[in-house]
Amino acid sequence: MSEELFKKYEEMAQEEWPEDLGLWKNLFLGNIALAKENLAKGMPYTPIPELQLEMFARIARARMSGKPIVMYPFNYGPELFYAMNVEPFMQEVFSVGLAPFRLNEPYIDLANQMGYGDNPTICNAQRPLIATYTRGDAPKSDLLFYLSTPCNSLATTYQVYSHMTGVPAFTLDIPYWSYDPSSEFYDEKTVDYVIRQLKDLVSWLEGRTNQKFHEDKFQETMNLVNQARENVMEFNDLLKAVPCPVNSLNGFANFMIMAFSGGTPDAVRMTKWMRDYAKGNVEKGVGGVPDEKIRIAWPYTHVFFDSQLFPWIEETFNAVVIMDILGHYHVGPHDTSNLDKCFESLALGTLDYSMIDTCRGPAEYYIDYLLRFVNDYKIDCVVMPIQFACKHIYAITNLAAEAVRREAGLPVLVFGCDPYDSREVPSEEIRGKIEEFITEIVM
Amino acid sequence: MSVPSTIAEAVHLPNPSIDRWRNEGKKVLGYFCSYIPDEIIYAANMLPVRMRAEGCADTPTADAYMSTTTCSFTRCVLELATRKEYQFLDGVVAYNSCDQVRRLYDNLKFKAPFPYQYFLSIPATLTDVTLEWYKHELSKFKKNLEDNFATAVTNDDLKRAIEIYNKSRDLLRELYELRKRERPPVSGTEVMNVLLASVTLPREEFNGLLASLLEVCRGREAESDYTARLMLVGSHLDDPEFVEMIEELGGLVVTDSLCFGTRYFSGLVDVNSAPLDALAERYFSKVSCPRMTGGHPERAKFVMDQVKEFNVDGVIIQRMKFCPTWWGEAFMLREDLKKLGVPCLELEKEYVLSGVGAMKTRIQAFLETLEER
Repeated sequence: MSEELFKKYEEMAQEEWPEDLGLWKNLFLGNIALAKENLAKGMPYTPIPELQLEMFARIARARMSGKPIVMYPFNYGPELFYAMNVEPFMQEVFSVGLAPFRLNEPYIDLANQMGYGDNPTICNAQRPLIATYTRGDAPKSDLLFYLSTPCNSLATTYQVYSHMTGVPAFTLDIPYWSYDPSSEFYDEKTVDYVIRQLKDLVSWLEGRTNQKFHEDKFQETMNLVNQARENVMEFNDLLKAVPCPVNSLNGFANFMIMAFSGGTPDAVRMTKWMRDYAKGNVEKGVGGVPDEKIRIAWPYTHVFFDSQLFPWIEETFNAVVIMDILGHYHVGPHDTSNLDKCFESLALGTLDYSMIDTCRGPAEYYIDYLLRFVNDYKIDCVVMPIQFACKHIYAITNLAAEAVRREAGLPVLVFGCDPYDSREVPSEEIRGKIEEFITEIVM
Repeated sequence: MSVPSTIAEAVHLPNPSIDRWRNEGKKVLGYFCSYIPDEIIYAANMLPVRMRAEGCADTPTADAYMSTTTCSFTRCVLELATRKEYQFLDGVVAYNSCDQVRRLYDNLKFKAPFPYQYFLSIPATLTDVTLEWYKHELSKFKKNLEDNFATAVTNDDLKRAIEIYNKSRDLLRELYELRKRERPPVSGTEVMNVLLASVTLPREEFNGLLASLLEVCRGREAESDYTARLMLVGSHLDDPEFVEMIEELGGLVVTDSLCFGTRYFSGLVDVNSAPLDALAERYFSKVSCPRMTGGHPERAKFVMDQVKEFNVDGVIIQRMKFCPTWWGEAFMLREDLKKLGVPCLELEKEYVLSGVGAMKTRIQAFLETLEER
């Protein structure tokens, strides 16, 4: 990150921020300090610090300028919001973003005290939202958007938030698709169904903000999404190389870029950097993990509270985790030559988004995805650390594990934990399980 | 007053009525939750039976496949299915009612398949666009039944089934009207038995039994006294023993918002419209389940209306352990009730009644607070 950017963000941090952005500002400052520290340590460049700082800055600017903010979940691309000049704010910043510092845990405790769910029932990816709002620590959004997929837990917490705050909400219904091995997992009816709802979303946004939908701006945005998607798809292909050209954490980068900035020039620039970095390493035969020995599939999310878990796996076993279920963002580019095609691209991107594609249908969706992944990426073993409250995946994990063992002949480790709460299953226990699995079964 | 023996028998699965139906060479289909119009199955000359898992004592196989943090209802169904205890069913129909039921369906398919399985994609929001989708899904379901069972379901068949089911709804509504009395002629436990019979017995047979029961009830008043009039709200509840436990402690359940109760039978199907359209419109406009996003204000209003109409002293929200949708709904509802000064008790329970001692203590304490008001 350039000195100029640091200066810009530091100047911004000097300004007076609205009261409800107190925690937000502290996170912003913390991230500036962390980025500077990493730079001073000579840590290799990645676009992620800039991405995060810009996300904090955008929300702050929007709040200070009165630009409408829409809160949305991790499993939806923000491109339509950018196209309509509405500021997208991904809610999971308060769970995923705070978890490595354990700063989300007091909010989990407060949600418990308020009687809103418990860990095995409602996912802690969203549950702290209720507590952050109650404490006045979350930037209040003007609008709320969420989808019926991947889980009841997400939809429930967003409804509770809307009920508590009075913030209007729009739900996009994702059809549940019957399994058809020969299909592309959607048909014309499904796509049309999503397109019609997305058009309703446009009208809903127009009706609740002063922003207007402009066809040209939308098309420009979708073209930018396409460029970024091309970069991501190339990156994904490059990770099939042995050794894998990037380390385990970098496999998550493109998801973050697309989830925060999809549809912006920043996303194109950053995904291009990721693509070029991977390509350069492939050409040089350099692996993201020195002397790569084991390639791990991780068809679930990171253990977010333990940011050192992947580096530990890399150092201890010379193993690389090749993209988790979110990091494997695999929405391809589409025809965006006219308005209809742009909406179609938006709909397809919605249906294929990480954790929508694998979760909006029967178990075979997830199992087929996993079998394809382990084959394409020359995987040696599978690790599945499933959130206790994640009914829709936990309840088919053993079906998936059986399929991988049977059809790919690979060992699979399944265990329950809470990726957002270090107190449920602590780092040491998780590492113990992984160590035993790799040393006793994989090696 | 006791309910007729046929109704009491129908609480159990299978039962003599199902046996008789099968002995006539006719099919029986199990279905989940309250957004699958049982009229379509009945119109195909098959018996729709709401899926339950009575008598499931432990769930080792289901725990292994579905994890111990999915709800015990879904684990119990999977367990009984792996033990081949649903042999009286020729098939099962489900939809994406919640994450746990949809994954139960997957596990059934892999581990305990039924001769016929069908899954509907039912929207979780109410808009013109989603209603159209739902209509299409119902039409696909009808065609699938026709193709798989080599039968034809005509509009006349559907209309006849709708009329029979509407008759049930009228009768059930009348039964609930009687519960508005100061001394209702039926207890909540008896009504729970009736409701279970409605989703188990051939519908014409059920209508006849309920009509006879109403005949008896109209002129009768209960002799027993009660401490408080209660409304039961919550997730899947098919256990008369749970209601009986409340009533033995002195409460009287006079109405509900349950998917076997008012949420099942509220609202008639329009007999003058195209049948599948009319079914879709009725099932989308009935009192919704919390699976339907954005529907809480209407559901809360329904509860408040019931509280007033049935002169309810307190509300018991029972939610199944590990059910996120009902935890969210209960969280919002208890805030709404608190604002309006309606006493409320929230109970978390397993599908099979357990922890009875602690539950009784809480109910007893709740009834005492109501008595003091």
